[in-house]
Amino acid sequence: MTSATWTAATGRGGLTGAARYWSLVRELSITNFKLKYTGSALGYVWSLAKPLAYFGVLYVIFVQLFHQTQDDFGLQLLLAVVIFNFFVECTSAGLGSIAGNGHLIRKATFPLSALVIATSVTALFTFLINMTLVMVVALVAGKLTPGWQMLAVPPLLVELYLLSLGVGMILASVFVFFRDVGHVWEIVSQLLIYVCGVLFPAKRVLSTHVPLPLPVDLGQLYYANPLAQTIEDLRHALVTPAAAWSVTITGGRLYAASVALSVACFAVGLLLFRRLAPYFAESL
Amino acid sequence: MSSAISVRNVTKRFRIPMDRSTTLKYRVSHPISTSRYRELLAVDDVSFEVSAGQFLGIIGANGSGKSTLLKILAGIYRATRGSVVLNGPVSPFLELGVGFNPELTARENVLVNGAILGLSRPELKRRMDGILHFAELEQFADAKLKNFSSGQQVRLAFTVAIQADAAILLMDEVLAVGDARFQTKCFEVFARYKREGKTVVLVTHDLTGVEMHCDRALLIDSGRVVTEGAPADVTGVYRRRAGEESGLDDVEPLAEGETDGAGSDLTIQRWGTGAVRFRKVVLDGGTGERGRHFETGSPMRLHLELEGREPVADLVVGVMVRRTDGTVIGGTNTQLERFRVPELAAGDRFSLSYAIDQLGLMDGMYLLDIAATSGLTSVHYDWVRNAARFSVTDVAGRTGLVQLGGAWEAAEPDGTAAAAYTRR
Repeated sequence: MTSATWTAATGRGGLTGAARYWSLVRELSITNFKLKYTGSALGYVWSLAKPLAYFGVLYVIFVQLFHQTQDDFGLQLLLAVVIFNFFVECTSAGLGSIAGNGHLIRKATFPLSALVIATSVTALFTFLINMTLVMVVALVAGKLTPGWQMLAVPPLLVELYLLSLGVGMILASVFVFFRDVGHVWEIVSQLLIYVCGVLFPAKRVLSTHVPLPLPVDLGQLYYANPLAQTIEDLRHALVTPAAAWSVTITGGRLYAASVALSVACFAVGLLLFRRLAPYFAESL
Repeated sequence: MSSAISVRNVTKRFRIPMDRSTTLKYRVSHPISTSRYRELLAVDDVSFEVSAGQFLGIIGANGSGKSTLLKILAGIYRATRGSVVLNGPVSPFLELGVGFNPELTARENVLVNGAILGLSRPELKRRMDGILHFAELEQFADAKLKNFSSGQQVRLAFTVAIQADAAILLMDEVLAVGDARFQTKCFEVFARYKREGKTVVLVTHDLTGVEMHCDRALLIDSGRVVTEGAPADVTGVYRRRAGEESGLDDVEPLAEGETDGAGSDLTIQRWGTGAVRFRKVVLDGGTGERGRHFETGSPMRLHLELEGREPVADLVVGVMVRRTDGTVIGGTNTQLERFRVPELAAGDRFSLSYAIDQLGLMDGMYLLDIAATSGLTSVHYDWVRNAARFSVTDVAGRTGLVQLGGAWEAAEPDGTAAAAYTRR
């Protein structure tokens, strides 16, 4: 049995290769962003208002009612909500990005990964707008202390992006074949907020001693989760030195494992997507 | 001439799951069950070449595998076996307007779809006025697509699709679109493609279009190439084959709610007081043999059998032929043609027939409605919509809805027949 091959020459007019790919990603993500807020009276304001409203609710519960006020926890909470919001938006929009474009995928030829990348870029737009807001709040509150720790921000954001995009690509690929994943992910992303240290300061998590049949304790394991790790590290780098670098909690090995997990998610997502993409059109 | 497309032994097998294995629950609860699949051989060992600059038309019945083949050419489906080589950039859209979003404006849709075509934003901005002008939508550039008429949408879609700087164009049912005037523009574009030496593969049901625009045609049936060659020859084979297969259910006896297998739209619909009811409707080709397929110009006879359930003195029997798209081709009744129908008492049976010597219908699928109504009031005794379905083929390949019925004759300039040429 001969294997199947499909070979096509590349274009001569217009854009080719990477330039063509990025122009496609750009147009698709601009479209996503427009469509997300089209028809609503407040439009883009919602991209700010939604995480703020969410933050407001959490603030009342966890800061006002539970009195977690030490170390500017309000600001820590705001930053964490914005980061967590990016992760959820990126992964859940990524999940539907292939299955939701069945018509286009069955009738047109273009790199399908651009659809997933475009949703992540759209989530990134919203994230950057929200981060600007967080920075303004921190500045006004006088909590923005420039220093060397800020150099950690770009690599941390890269890690966060790779993790979110990787999970998004895995979900997008699997969702085409198993639609249950959509419901599962909805529940998982609601539960994740509790295991990513969004709602509690690290000290609170670490003060809870749960014996584990492992050489590490629960707190260390908790911050070996890449999302909890990036949130905690960004808290330290951006808003308060009171939040510890997560490496000081987990130790070097678990920290490396956490970063490796983010990169692995991205690599697995990319490979899985490339492997399954040829079968998307006929499965949609 | 060099080959632009080379297809070798391409086979596509679809596995259609027969159970609900697309849920995790099934997977978890049946971890070791091998899923049952129905195998569908959509494309079966197809090979062909298209030389650069050639227009190839692929024709075939619904489900023959022609669209699947086109998707394999486009790289949308991966062939199970075989190889496809395309020597040149391929236009990404198989159909018009697939990347359109109703919530975006015309301008925004052009930008997104242009990006899928591989055009840069500055290039699109440069072409924008020309695109809007060609699509005749200058005043609607910033209106949302959802507010456009379907004609406006299709004009924009066509205009965007032809922006592709591709050497190979693959099109599924994209011939001329829009109104007559815009169609002329479409044909000009096809002519331009020919001049520019672009290679076009066209999948279509429009046999006339294939004869007009294609250099070569390919007939596909059950995933296999039946024949290929000059368009007129291939469409001729297709017309004859379509004529041979009736593939339709038997028309009689009439049953309420019975479908003829053509989808819910074509379900028999029946209403009326029931004072008179049709018992049978039979179509035959004039030879007494029942048939559902007729050829243009041949005889057709329609037999109707009715039964009176109550005494009826003013019975009018009517027939109407419609195309499947709803267009009424013709209808008549016994009253209009002053044909006397006898008075019926309860339990009386009555047969009549409507005979056509030379069927004037052209290629297509037709639906027959029959009606028994009151001649004096507006009461319907029995009205059967979609009572029968039949197809007509014009083996001669003429076009349109009706046979014009004329005859060709060479004439001298003064109008007298030129005997020397009439035999041709």
